Amino acid sequence: MPVPILKQGDCLIASIQSALTDADLLDLRDELAERVGRYRSKGVIIDVTVLDVLDSFASRTLRMMAEMIRLRGAETVIVGIQPEVAFSMVQLGLSLDGVTTVLDLEEGLAHLDRSRRARVAHAGG
Amino acid sequence: MAVTRPRVDADALADAIGLGPEELAMRKGFLEFGDDDVHRLHAMYGLTHEHVDVVIEAFYEHLMSFPETAAFFRDPRLLEHVKGRQKEYFIRLTQGDYEQEYVSDRLRLGSIHERIGLPVRSFLGMYAFYLRQIASLLLAEHPGEAERAFEAFHSLTKLLFFDIGLGVDIYIYQRERTIALQQEAIRELSTPVLTLRDRLLVLPIIGILDTSRAQKLTEGLLRSIRESRAKVVILDVTGVPAVDSAVANHLLQTVEASRLMGAQVIVTGLSSSVAQSLVTLGVDLTKLNAVGDLQGGIEVANEIMGYRIVAIDDGTPEVVDARSDSQAG
Repeated sequence: MPVPILKQGDCLIASIQSALTDADLLDLRDELAERVGRYRSKGVIIDVTVLDVLDSFASRTLRMMAEMIRLRGAETVIVGIQPEVAFSMVQLGLSLDGVTTVLDLEEGLAHLDRSRRARVAHAGG
Repeated sequence: MAVTRPRVDADALADAIGLGPEELAMRKGFLEFGDDDVHRLHAMYGLTHEHVDVVIEAFYEHLMSFPETAAFFRDPRLLEHVKGRQKEYFIRLTQGDYEQEYVSDRLRLGSIHERIGLPVRSFLGMYAFYLRQIASLLLAEHPGEAERAFEAFHSLTKLLFFDIGLGVDIYIYQRERTIALQQEAIRELSTPVLTLRDRLLVLPIIGILDTSRAQKLTEGLLRSIRESRAKVVILDVTGVPAVDSAVANHLLQTVEASRLMGAQVIVTGLSSSVAQSLVTLGVDLTKLNAVGDLQGGIEVANEIMGYRIVAIDDGTPEVVDARSDSQAG
């Protein structure tokens, strides 16, 4: 099932609705990388709240996604990792190094908002 | 640590220590305790029956002449009771049938001795006293037949060593049970997750951190992070006596899992000796945001969350949200 990608201002929100196959994940990666360019987005939020498992392929793909999106000029935030998922990930030694993770969608939007303001301040100064 | 140990009856004890018929046969085989010994002991029945009162009186006189053992028999009623039990035991030695029921009796007796805190050395000393008494009785009983007396003595020695084995097993088993219960108690020491301020949690860890406890602790912390939407967590390990590489890895896992949930972890209270051992162990702690003490940790948390503490006019510090300040201005 494809992941709906919503555009909200200069952000994209990929809201995962159900468990994903590996192919779905790769589609999501390609789709996001493409849309970041199309909409000239500055931030991408990937909401994984509904996922009750993140395996090694998923965590590697998420890392890859974040790196691709960074190269396309936007910042990635992963939101909604559940306690059980976080716990099993560290138990299995899976990491999301280099990817920003925050609690939920609200926090993710707030984080991107801070980044935007920092950019504006930087440009202004 | 005081732990109330539930009592276990003698049959359950025999099961717990694994004293089935096979084990008993093996023990007797090891002591070379056979039918001949049973017969020789049985032949001593008359002797023990005749002298039991004298021996037991001498036995308690001996015990009462040493402060360490006398302390256990201060109460005269108790003394009468235990004398009765010892008389039964003394005669029982020569009554044959040294099977499961006999063993249960020995375990019960050993259990009582262990529970009142009689030292093992005194417990062994009591058996040595019996042996000395019976040796002289046997020699007197068989004048000029030293060999026969010696054989009978030998059989008794085997049986008493069998009994000592059971007694010592009980001591060890009960101590191990105490240790296991204490470890359980330490493991179950709850670790509260405290909310210090909106979205700032403090987790004071007290006691030994092993794998199972670290897991429970991390699970609890992650749940609290979600519930209170925490941004910063201070993990205070002042009360953790030793930090080895396993514990350090647990801490790192907790830090990483919290980061996945969007919370930053500050570890405080790593003492200089702990820091030294961690460096010596070569654990990679670059991901660990460590601050000297809890106070420092709270200060760093304030910085991260954009708070600063401002003294109002009368000198009482007041917490101000620096973010709302900057938004207002």
